[in-house]
Amino acid sequence: MLKPLTELPKGSKVKVVDIVAGKGLRDRLLQMGLTPGTVVEVVENSSGPIILSVRGVTIALGRGMASKVLVEELQT
Amino acid sequence: MSSNERMTKGYDVTVAIVGNPNVGKSTLFNVLTGELAHVSNWPGTTVARKEGVREWMGVRIRFVDLPGIYGLSASTLEEVITREYVVNERPDLIVVLVDATIPERSLYLPIQLLELTPNVVIVFTKVDEMSRLGIHIHFDKLEAMLGVPVIPTSAIKGVGIRDLLNTIVELTRSKRKFKELVINYGGLEPFINEISKIVVNSKVLKPYPTRWVAIRLLEGDKRLEELLMSSNELDILNSVLKVRESVRRSIGRDPSELAIGVRYEFVSSIAKEVVVRVERKGGSEELIAEVFQKPVLGVLASSLLLLTSFMLIFTVNTGFPLNMIFKFLGLEGLAEFLETYSLSGVLGHAFNVASDYVRGLLHYNPVLASLISDGVLVGVGAVLSFLPLILMIFFLLALLEDSGLAPRMAVSFHNLLSRFGFSGSSIYPMLIGVGCNVPAVMGSRILLDDVERRQVIFSVPFIPCQARFIVTSALVVSYFKSPTLQAVALLSIYLVGVLTFLLSSLLVRRVVYKVRESPELILELPLIHTPKLKVVWWITWDYTKHFLRKAGLIILTLSVVIWFITNLGPNGYVGDITESFGAMIGRFLAPILTPFDIPSGTDWVLALALFQGFVAKESVLDTLAILYGTADISEAINSLGLTIPQAYALILFITLYIPCLATVAVVYQESRSLKMTMLQVIYMVGLAYITALTTYYILKII
Repeated sequence: MLKPLTELPKGSKVKVVDIVAGKGLRDRLLQMGLTPGTVVEVVENSSGPIILSVRGVTIALGRGMASKVLVEELQT
Repeated sequence: MSSNERMTKGYDVTVAIVGNPNVGKSTLFNVLTGELAHVSNWPGTTVARKEGVREWMGVRIRFVDLPGIYGLSASTLEEVITREYVVNERPDLIVVLVDATIPERSLYLPIQLLELTPNVVIVFTKVDEMSRLGIHIHFDKLEAMLGVPVIPTSAIKGVGIRDLLNTIVELTRSKRKFKELVINYGGLEPFINEISKIVVNSKVLKPYPTRWVAIRLLEGDKRLEELLMSSNELDILNSVLKVRESVRRSIGRDPSELAIGVRYEFVSSIAKEVVVRVERKGGSEELIAEVFQKPVLGVLASSLLLLTSFMLIFTVNTGFPLNMIFKFLGLEGLAEFLETYSLSGVLGHAFNVASDYVRGLLHYNPVLASLISDGVLVGVGAVLSFLPLILMIFFLLALLEDSGLAPRMAVSFHNLLSRFGFSGSSIYPMLIGVGCNVPAVMGSRILLDDVERRQVIFSVPFIPCQARFIVTSALVVSYFKSPTLQAVALLSIYLVGVLTFLLSSLLVRRVVYKVRESPELILELPLIHTPKLKVVWWITWDYTKHFLRKAGLIILTLSVVIWFITNLGPNGYVGDITESFGAMIGRFLAPILTPFDIPSGTDWVLALALFQGFVAKESVLDTLAILYGTADISEAINSLGLTIPQAYALILFITLYIPCLATVAVVYQESRSLKMTMLQVIYMVGLAYITALTTYYILKII
C-alpha cells in the first residue's frame, strides 16, 4: 500500500515509489538519490523534519516535502 | 595560446572544481591555492566565487571553485552557475570531487558530468576517514572502468595533492583526450535519438554536445528551453516538447525520473564493483548525532549550546550580556570589571592611550594630531575591535560546521523558523545579531539559498544589537522612573526590532522575490566527527581576512570622512563640532524633527547626535555629552528635556534608523550591490521615521 513518507514510524524500511511534487523539487530529491525503487530507512520521524538514510547518506526533509514522497513499506 | 596571451592572463590552464556540498571542496581548494585565493560573487548573486593560481612544474594553474551541487539539472541557482560555467567558459579540465565516505551517492555527479564533457579528473576526498568507517575502494579499477584519472586524496593529511597537481600538468601537456561517457538509457534511447535529430538544427544549442542536450531536453530542462525560446527557435522547442509528451503518455512517468534512475543504477553497478563496506559498531559520534536529531532534546541541546557559547563570546568581547545580568543582580562592581577587562574595553583603553600619545607628539600641529587620533586611530580601533569578535564567532561556527553539528542544529530549529519564511540555518545570523549585526550579516553565508541570504542581509540589521542596547537603556533609565516601566519599555523595543526584522524579511521574500512557499528543507547531514583544527582555522581566517580586506577598508575610509565632517567647517579646521560641517548638517536636518515638537536649539543637537550614531550607535551618547559640555551622560540626556512620548519615539528611532557604518560596510561586502546597500539604508531610515512618528502621535493622545 502506498503511504506518504511522513506516516511511517522511526526505524521502518521503505521503498520509494513516487514523488508527487513540482519538477524543481522532484529533480532535487531524485538527484540526491531518492529515485523510485530505492530503499530508504526512516531514522527520525516526530514533529520536526523527517530524517532519512538514503544510499549511505543521512538527509533531513521538511515535513511538507516528505509528505510528497510516496513509499511502500517493506516487510521486516 | 600565444606567449603574449599567457603573459596577460597570468595563468596557463584553467581547472574548475566541482562537487557536492560538504564534500570538502573549500578544504581542497585551500590546499591547492593557499593564501592567494581571490574571492568575489557570481554576477548578480550572493553565491561566492573563489579562484586562485598555483604554479606547478612551470605551469600556472588557475583553480576556479564552483558552487556545491548534486547534479546538473539546473534546478537550483548553484546548478545553473556551474553548468553555464562548464559549457560557456570551457575550463581546460574539471576536477570533480567524490566523498569517499559516501561513494554510493556522490559518484552520481561525476557520472553526469562525464556525459557532458570527458575532460574530467575524479578526486576522492576524505580518504583518511575510510578506515574508521570500514570502507574500501578500488581506485584503479574505477579508473579502468570510467577511463579518466581517479585520485584518492585527503586535503587535511596532504595525501594525493602532488598526484593531482602532477596529473593536471601531465594532462595539459600531453593534450590527451578522453571519450565521453555514454550510458544506455534503455527504453528512452529511441526518444533520445529522435530529439538528437531535431536539435542538430539549433544554432543556440551548438556549444553543447548533441546527445547531452537531447537527454537534458527529454528530462525537461528549463534553462535550455528558455534558450530556445529567447532565440526564436520555437519550432525546435515545440517538436521536442511533443516527443517528451508522448514519452510521458506512453510510459506514464516523467522522463527525468527514468533518466535519473538509470544513472543511479549505473552508479550502483559501479559501486558494487569497486566499493566494499565492512560492518562496524557505532561509536560516540552516532550517539551525539542521535541526541541532536531527537525532536525536543535536539532543540534543547542546540539552544543551550548556542546560547552559552554566544553569550561567552560576547561577554569576553564587550562584557555584554553578562554585565547586564550582574547589574540586575546588584553586582555593579563585577559588571564594571567585566566591561573594563573585556577585549573592547582593553582595546578602547589602548587606543585612548595611543591617541593621547599622538596628540602629545604632534602638539605643534593640532590639525594633523586630531586627524590621526580622532580620525585614523578611531577607524583602526573600530576595525580592530570587531576583529576578535569576528574571529571567535566564526571559529565557533566553523567548529559546528566541520563537526557536522551545525546542520543538525539547523534541522531542530526549522519548524519554528519556517513559519517566518526562514530555514533552520537562519538561527545563526539571528542569534549573532543580538550581539552584533556585523558578524550576523557575514553569517548569512552559512545559508544555502540565495533569496534567504538576501532576506537576512537586508533585514538582520533591525535586530537590536548590544550597542543599541547601551543607547536605549541609557535613555530608558533617564526618562522612565519606575523599574517596571523601564523593563516594559526595553522589552517593547526588542519586540519592535525583532518584529521589524521578521516583517522586512518576509517583505523581501514575498514581495521582492515573489516566493510564496516557506523554504523547503532538503539538507544533507554529514557524519559527526571530531572537528579538524586546521580546517576550522581555514574557515575562520577566510571570514576574518575577508572582513579586514573589504569591510575594514570601508570602515577606515568612512571614519576619516566623518572626521572631516565633524572637525572642518567653512573656515577650515575648527576643532569644535558646533562650528563644523557636521553642525551645519545637524541644523539642516533639524526641521525633520519638527513634527516631534522638539524645540529649536535642541533639535539640531539631537540631529547631529543621530548623524554621529551612524559611525557607531554608542556615539549618540558621546556626541550629546560633548555638545552639552559635560562628561556625565545622564546629565546630557536630561538636558534634552524630552517628554515621555518624545523620548520613547527617539528610542524607537535609534533602534531602527540606520545600520552602523561597519554594518553598511559588510552589507556591501556580502551583497556586492551598491544599489541594495543604499536601498537598505533608505528603507531603514524611512521606516524608523514613520514608526517613530506614528508612535509619538499615538502616545501623545494617550
